[in-house]
Amino acid sequence: MEILFSFALWFGLYAIVALSLNLEYGFAGIPNFGKALAVLVGAISVGGIMNRILAYFYGISEDNVISLSSSVRGIVNDAILSDPVLGIVIFLSSITLASLLGAVAGVIFILPSVKLKQDYLAITLLAISEVVFLVTNYSTEIVGGYYGVSVPDVFTFSGNYRNTFFILVILLFAFLVYFFVERISNSPFGRVLKAMRENEDVLKASGKNIIVLRIKAAAIGSAIASIAGALFSLYSLNVIASSFTRVEWTFYPFLMVLLGGAGNNKGVLAGVAVFVFAKIFLTMFKFEITALLNLPFEAIWFEYMLFGILMFLVLYYKPEGIFKEKPIFTKPIKKVVYKISGAKNN
Amino acid sequence: MEIVLKTQNLSKFFGGLKALDNVNVSIQKNKITLIVGPNGSGKTTLINTVSGFYKADSGKVFFDGKDITNKPPHEISKLGITRTFQIPQPLKKLTVLENLLVFYNYGTELIEAVNGKWKKKESDATEKAFKILEFLKLDHLWDVQAQNLSGGQLKLLEIGRALMRESKLFIADEPVAGVNPVLAHEILSRFLKLKDEMSFLLVEHRLDIVLKYTDYIYVMANGKIIAEGREEVFEDPKVVEVYLSAKG
Ligand SMILES: Nc1ncnc2c1ncn2[C@@H]1O[C@H](COP(=O)(O)OP(=O)(O)O)[C@@H](O)[C@H]1O
Ligand SMILES: [Mg+2]
Repeated sequence: MEILFSFALWFGLYAIVALSLNLEYGFAGIPNFGKALAVLVGAISVGGIMNRILAYFYGISEDNVISLSSSVRGIVNDAILSDPVLGIVIFLSSITLASLLGAVAGVIFILPSVKLKQDYLAITLLAISEVVFLVTNYSTEIVGGYYGVSVPDVFTFSGNYRNTFFILVILLFAFLVYFFVERISNSPFGRVLKAMRENEDVLKASGKNIIVLRIKAAAIGSAIASIAGALFSLYSLNVIASSFTRVEWTFYPFLMVLLGGAGNNKGVLAGVAVFVFAKIFLTMFKFEITALLNLPFEAIWFEYMLFGILMFLVLYYKPEGIFKEKPIFTKPIKKVVYKISGAKNN
Repeated sequence: MEIVLKTQNLSKFFGGLKALDNVNVSIQKNKITLIVGPNGSGKTTLINTVSGFYKADSGKVFFDGKDITNKPPHEISKLGITRTFQIPQPLKKLTVLENLLVFYNYGTELIEAVNGKWKKKESDATEKAFKILEFLKLDHLWDVQAQNLSGGQLKLLEIGRALMRESKLFIADEPVAGVNPVLAHEILSRFLKLKDEMSFLLVEHRLDIVLKYTDYIYVMANGKIIAEGREEVFEDPKVVEVYLSAKG
């Protein structure tokens, strides 16, 4: 049972992040090596900003954000217990704030490199993401740095079913994100993103502004990924910057996208499922595996190595992933094709 | 006689190489203008500079009387200049139909992707695309990925995409290279018909096919315009010399 919960939680969170990366990378061809940054922004929105907003409303003041967040949690949790609607309001505001800040961050961080070729873009995004990660991790001002901050339990009213309820909410968000990315990618907009990935000169010749398109894709992608960061923080009741590493929130999502099939949202969901299953399996049996293989290092390194090798194998032997990308055949196209083929057969 | 596109002492250097050397051309409205010249004479560079893909080092480009020098390519395209590429640039993983649809002007794509209001446009775009594909005899390949087309088919795809746009000036870089003569004539006849609505600037080596469709000719060599006029330009000693030395 616990495994099922763990699977559902991580499937939901990673589905959101991987689908957002698929929009950026799978469709638009933006190698966003700074994906972890957007997730971190979501966490900062909750732990750093929402906490301060709540402190302001409740007239709480402390010397630093760490003790401030504990006071906020105490008072806000009590308030939510007596008024569940308040919890839902805080929850929805946090998600909205995270997606807005995510979008803004996505735009700001792609701006310096938006004119660069794809490989330089990748490196620049990676570098920016690392800098923000390190600053957030070492500065105690933002989200408590090494110590982290507490976060109120917005669903504390659901008592014993709190985690189950929260995981269902996360799955609901994953579904909404899937619905949203499918909607915008199976449209002329999705086709233009793919065209940008294939050949920028062609798209320029067709009258499209590459820079604006990249910014739009980055804004949407970061807004979505930021929601995952907020959900994760609200679920785990704290924010510690060191949880938002590039391995877990950039490299792993890339692996899921490539494994499932870049440019195919269903495929990406499959990639997330396979990955999360493998990760839970590895975590469950890490001591057994370390003992069995007589590893001279910790099991976590074994996990990194294994996923690294998996990434290599996918790129080398099955670069299109489990599910191949499909052409965007919209309903209007199908209708016209049907009409034409009907006319020919008569 | 109205002028749709005009260059004024347009120059472009690659290191020490003068790829365009004070080029002055005036492309007439509702006419088919041809640029010829040996390989490496600067024809493609002229197209790239006029359409914003290369930055001019000096000189000016005017379109419809407006200065468009060094404007970015997408803006120039939006103003109504559509260009094709000499070396076909397919959107490889997209189908033939999708390659054409990308060139249709949908307008506000992101907003409509969210509110779903693109469906009527998509329908119009698809109808238009199929008419063009039928004309180019590519319709049976509509759902094939562009990466699976032959060289000749890719040239046709270039033309098909450009025809999807409502352009004022259609610039085609060797549009019928590698295309069979019958279809090549059909394409050029189509240009002839479209002449009422738009203007054409063609670069083409296959003079036997293209000459009877052209209204005016510029001859380029070493980045310079060395002659201009009608078919008599080919009797100009400068032109004869250039072509002889290019062949020898
Ligand atoms: N991007 C470039 N970088 C360097 N040299 C170039 C570039 N594009 C064209 N050239 C040079 O400019 C000259 C003109 O080339 P081009 O315009 O392609 O000729 P044409 O189309 O008439 O065959 C050639 O010498 C070519 O090598
Ligand atoms: Mg050329």
